[in-house]
Amino acid sequence: MLESIITYGLAIGAVYAMIGITYNVMYSSSRVFSFTAGMLGMLGGVLGALFITKWGMNTVLAFGLVLACGAVIGIVTEIVTVRPVLKSIEQHLYVLSTLAFALMVQQVTAIEWGTEAQPFPKLIPVEAGLLDQKFWLPMLACTAAIIGLEALYRYTLVGRAFLAIAEDSYAARALGLPETKLRLACYAIAGMIGALAGFTGAQMLLAYFGNQAILNFYGFVPVALGGMGSNRGAIIGGLALGLFQQAASIMFGGIYAAVAVFIVFILILLLRPEGLAGVTVARRV
Amino acid sequence: MSDITASMPAASVNGRKRYQKVVPWLLLGAAGLLLPLLDDAYIGVIAQRAFIYWILSAGLNLLVGFAGQIAIGWVPMLTLGAYTTAVLTAGTVTDPWDPYLALLAGGLVGSLFGVIIGLPALRLRTFYFAMTTLGFTTITTQVALAWKSVTGGGVGTPGPVFPWPFDSTWGFYYFCFILAGIATWLTANIAYSRYGRALIALRDAEVAAEASGISKPKLLVLVFLLAGGLGGIAGGLFASLQSYITPDAFTFEMSVLFFIAILIGGRGSIMGPILGTIILTTLPEFAAPLVQWSTFLYAALLLLIVLLIPGGIAELLDFRGRAALPQHREIAPRPELLGAVLGKPDRSQKMSLHGIQLHFGGVKAIDGIDVEIRAGEVHGLIGPNGSGKTTTLNVISGYYRPTAGELRLNGNALPVETTPERAAHRIARTFQTPRLIGDASVLENVMIGGTIDGQASFVESMLSLPRHHQDERALRDAAMKALAAVGLESLADVRADRLQHSELRFMEIARALMLRPAFLLLDEPAAGLSGEEIRRLGALITAISHEGVAVLLVEHHADLIFDICDTVTVLNLGKVLAAGTPAEIRAHKEVVSAYLGA
Amino acid sequence: MSLSRRHILSGSAAGMAAMATGLATPALASNEPIKIGYLPALTGPSSSTGIAMTRGTELAASVINAAGGINGRPIELVVRDTQSDPTKAVNAVAELAQRARASIIWGPLNSGEALAATPLISRQNIPMLHPCWVDELIDVAKYPMAFRSAPTNTQVGSGANHYVVDVLKLKKVAVISDTTGYGTASVNTYVPMLRAKGADVVYSSHVDAANPDLRPELLRMRNAGAEAIMPWSVNAGFLSRVLNARGAMGWDVPVVGQTTLGSGQTRALLEKPEYWNKVYSNNFKNCCYVDGRLPPNAAEFVERLKRAGIDFNDTLLWWVAAGWDGMHLMADALKAVGTRPRDIVDHWHKVNRRPGVYGTISWSPQQHNGFLDEEVVMCEVNSLRDGAFNLAPGYRA
Repeated sequence: MLESIITYGLAIGAVYAMIGITYNVMYSSSRVFSFTAGMLGMLGGVLGALFITKWGMNTVLAFGLVLACGAVIGIVTEIVTVRPVLKSIEQHLYVLSTLAFALMVQQVTAIEWGTEAQPFPKLIPVEAGLLDQKFWLPMLACTAAIIGLEALYRYTLVGRAFLAIAEDSYAARALGLPETKLRLACYAIAGMIGALAGFTGAQMLLAYFGNQAILNFYGFVPVALGGMGSNRGAIIGGLALGLFQQAASIMFGGIYAAVAVFIVFILILLLRPEGLAGVTVARRV
Repeated sequence: MSDITASMPAASVNGRKRYQKVVPWLLLGAAGLLLPLLDDAYIGVIAQRAFIYWILSAGLNLLVGFAGQIAIGWVPMLTLGAYTTAVLTAGTVTDPWDPYLALLAGGLVGSLFGVIIGLPALRLRTFYFAMTTLGFTTITTQVALAWKSVTGGGVGTPGPVFPWPFDSTWGFYYFCFILAGIATWLTANIAYSRYGRALIALRDAEVAAEASGISKPKLLVLVFLLAGGLGGIAGGLFASLQSYITPDAFTFEMSVLFFIAILIGGRGSIMGPILGTIILTTLPEFAAPLVQWSTFLYAALLLLIVLLIPGGIAELLDFRGRAALPQHREIAPRPELLGAVLGKPDRSQKMSLHGIQLHFGGVKAIDGIDVEIRAGEVHGLIGPNGSGKTTTLNVISGYYRPTAGELRLNGNALPVETTPERAAHRIARTFQTPRLIGDASVLENVMIGGTIDGQASFVESMLSLPRHHQDERALRDAAMKALAAVGLESLADVRADRLQHSELRFMEIARALMLRPAFLLLDEPAAGLSGEEIRRLGALITAISHEGVAVLLVEHHADLIFDICDTVTVLNLGKVLAAGTPAEIRAHKEVVSAYLGA
Repeated sequence: MSLSRRHILSGSAAGMAAMATGLATPALASNEPIKIGYLPALTGPSSSTGIAMTRGTELAASVINAAGGINGRPIELVVRDTQSDPTKAVNAVAELAQRARASIIWGPLNSGEALAATPLISRQNIPMLHPCWVDELIDVAKYPMAFRSAPTNTQVGSGANHYVVDVLKLKKVAVISDTTGYGTASVNTYVPMLRAKGADVVYSSHVDAANPDLRPELLRMRNAGAEAIMPWSVNAGFLSRVLNARGAMGWDVPVVGQTTLGSGQTRALLEKPEYWNKVYSNNFKNCCYVDGRLPPNAAEFVERLKRAGIDFNDTLLWWVAAGWDGMHLMADALKAVGTRPRDIVDHWHKVNRRPGVYGTISWSPQQHNGFLDEEVVMCEVNSLRDGAFNLAPGYRA
């Protein structure tokens, strides 16, 4: 029991954490919370199954293609649903445009791919018990994502530019940073991370259109708990969520586990709205 | 441009406008009443569904369309109402209830959970609340499935049957029609009351709303109660229409339908969302092959609306709002009308700041400020950018809580309060960037300022009782007077987002005057104004202070400051650099070097 | 739909009155089609049954029409996809009754939709036939015109319980279902039945079908000492996850349960083909191989399907057969007595051991559940061939 909780919990937690990071990367470059994070995760799994199982592509090639698709979808998201809305006065229209886009993609997937969860192929043809690839692949991916992002932010000029537009977009623009191009790049990166999460997590979650809603919510919880924009908070929140969910699932059964997660989520939000690691916003007047 | 010539045509125009407003409602009502004559039971079922969905959406409309809350997952209210009514009438848990009482119980359960699920909205940002509603939707379905002993689990439970005359097909149709009409009436009453305007203010200009005394938590709780209750009642009716309810009937697609119908219809409108609901309920019935694409089409429609016509159908139908405005407009304030607007302020009022400090982490935005503002005086507050001028205003308004120091009103320390509570002390203000409700008329924007003086309770407004009408008349009168005083009465019915920048500044002053303030805080009101407009602004402010109001004026226009201020305080780096009469300040060496220049 | 709005407006008052009293509907031309309303779920989560049954239903209709229809009048199948949604099912019933003037309604094919649709169809006084299993759907007093051409949940569970307790002779049983109407109703009914047979139900639970990992649940089962797993769900994903978890744990107990355990969809979702061993699902005697051969009716039906080019390898033979049988039950009645509701019901009351491809049906005025107990049997799923299976081992002939 305990091993099951730990392996499965950490693995699914890593997937949630990566979706949380996807939210964060989109948020930090545009101050927009996009409903497309879960969608990217879902597509990572569905497209992966499509390329490898249905089209018979080589695994590594398919992986690369899935990441590329994630990037493209991220870019499309920015152009179609975020950029037009940033210009308008209506602050919360972005929620609606990203929601609409995410719903459209979900429906197309449900209709074209099917409403049944399809199997996701084994990526590495090896047998293993507890150390099965479906557990360590997401964890590996999550670690790679976070290390990659940190390295990007700290050591590259582009990464530091990302941080700049996240901190203060007006100042960044005044300094001559190409805000739009940088935002586009951030959305592409977010798209890749989301797709990565879905691809590595699909051996657990299967290629299923319904994963969008699941990942949207469970990928958001780490962000809410860890504080918006905080990737470290998202990782801790995600892993904690995964473990909690698995433990509750085993102890109470599936239905009550979902209720338990929800109640804990609400309570934490009511007690600490800025998240456990977040900072209160300084000035809005 | 006197008010006499302006008002005469307005009377008959008002009459025709009122007639125009009523006609669509009459048409809709007639269509609903006469539909049974078609004797088509299929159309009847679809129409009943539309009525039921509208009852829920009417409440949700106040939440989404007016308050701007992103309540994407509102179907749980339907679920809860449906199960409550069904279970109580079925007699599985208690003796069978009378169906009407059970329906009422469904509404109460909906109200209760409406507030519970709404609590996060009071403290959290929009996206968080949206996610919470989505999570709650899943939970409700799960619990409905799991709680077999009460809900029948997956097998479900039979729906309630209402007694004669509502037990036949058309009888039940009229029942739904009547309830839909009542729901429309209740929510429209709220929409066109100070509560409705306050909701829109919270949505589009939260900061200004708070400064006008509107308390977000209190108001939202009332709206959650109403929206949840209507959702619950819709649920009971839904259970009856379905004859038998199972958890799989309450789909996420339904939630999306309600939400999108309101947005397609247009925010801040009642007729728009009604049309939106009717369209989205009937659309799938026309296009049989497209039926599985219906959610996709709704989402695509939503995307188009958001990108192209954010105002929805209501914006398309707003012909009046697109009429041309006169090109060269002048703002001609009439300070002689101020007396009627302000009443008689107490000339002994005095506000003083003692040693106020405000630190943000390591940054000392304000580092020990002492200022005194007296009735009948214009007190200027100047200084370089970043010296803490607006921050000081924000502390007085209550947006920030000082790290140290005290704010005293007539010698008594003001407790640490929220911004809406400051409004009760008759502290009004304008903002550095005008905060307006774009969709609403100038008059409605100004009426926001007088919200806290309304006497009618939420329920009285909802039921359109006499006190509500008295309130509306009084508020409207006061707002027109305020607009006349600042010189904008000819633009009263124009949508605020069509105004020029300078007109918006004066509009903010009119809104602030509605509070009949003892203290008026003005944050750079002259920014963006022409020379002549600045002169008129100065005259207006002087007149306001002569009526007995204590005015604190933050400005960069040195001429204006030196023209109209009685005293001036200069801030630099969060500290008071100098204070005194304008003449003293103009000669002050440090002030000149730090700020004014030679 | 051939009737125009004008016809509806002028004829509807008389039509409604006529339907209510059971008198003949206004005279129509003698080769006007007879309309049969059909409410399958062709899209949405529960659509596999609908898609398969439609093949049998439509084939039967075309065969009957090719042979002259109902006394010269062709059958017109008026299809409305319920999208696996009870709300849409109710809308569709209203439309079929009002616009299409259906003489009989076949379906809905899923219990959740049928629960909502049956009261409304009953109020419209239209005879109704459906192949859903939830017991509550048939009630001679409440719904006098509703008939069932499939077993009830009780009969199905009985068959499975009989196999586990009496044939395999196992005592400790774990029962698991998903959270749909069908799943929960099944478990609620079968667990007491098992206990009444003297079995020890050591685990009983409903699990969300979307839950990706069922190992915790199976671990709990094993810890409780279960000797057999009985899953009840029509969701292939869910069932495959049960089998995958059992296989991954290397736990070699028999799995005895819902028909869908043996569907091609479930098989496609298995991680290893051997996970399909020692799995027994509900099936029907008339559609199972015994000593390598199908019973005559079924064999002939399979030939007919192959000739008509209808695919049934990705689904179950008995679903297609149920569609075929259903259409014939309706057509037989229409041919014998015409379209008056009362006459159709009286005719059906007299159906006695009518042989079908799927089931032998018997109805009476007191019993509208037509399937025979003894025709519900278990089959061995890994013997799947042409949509049908071998009878499970251990049955005495």
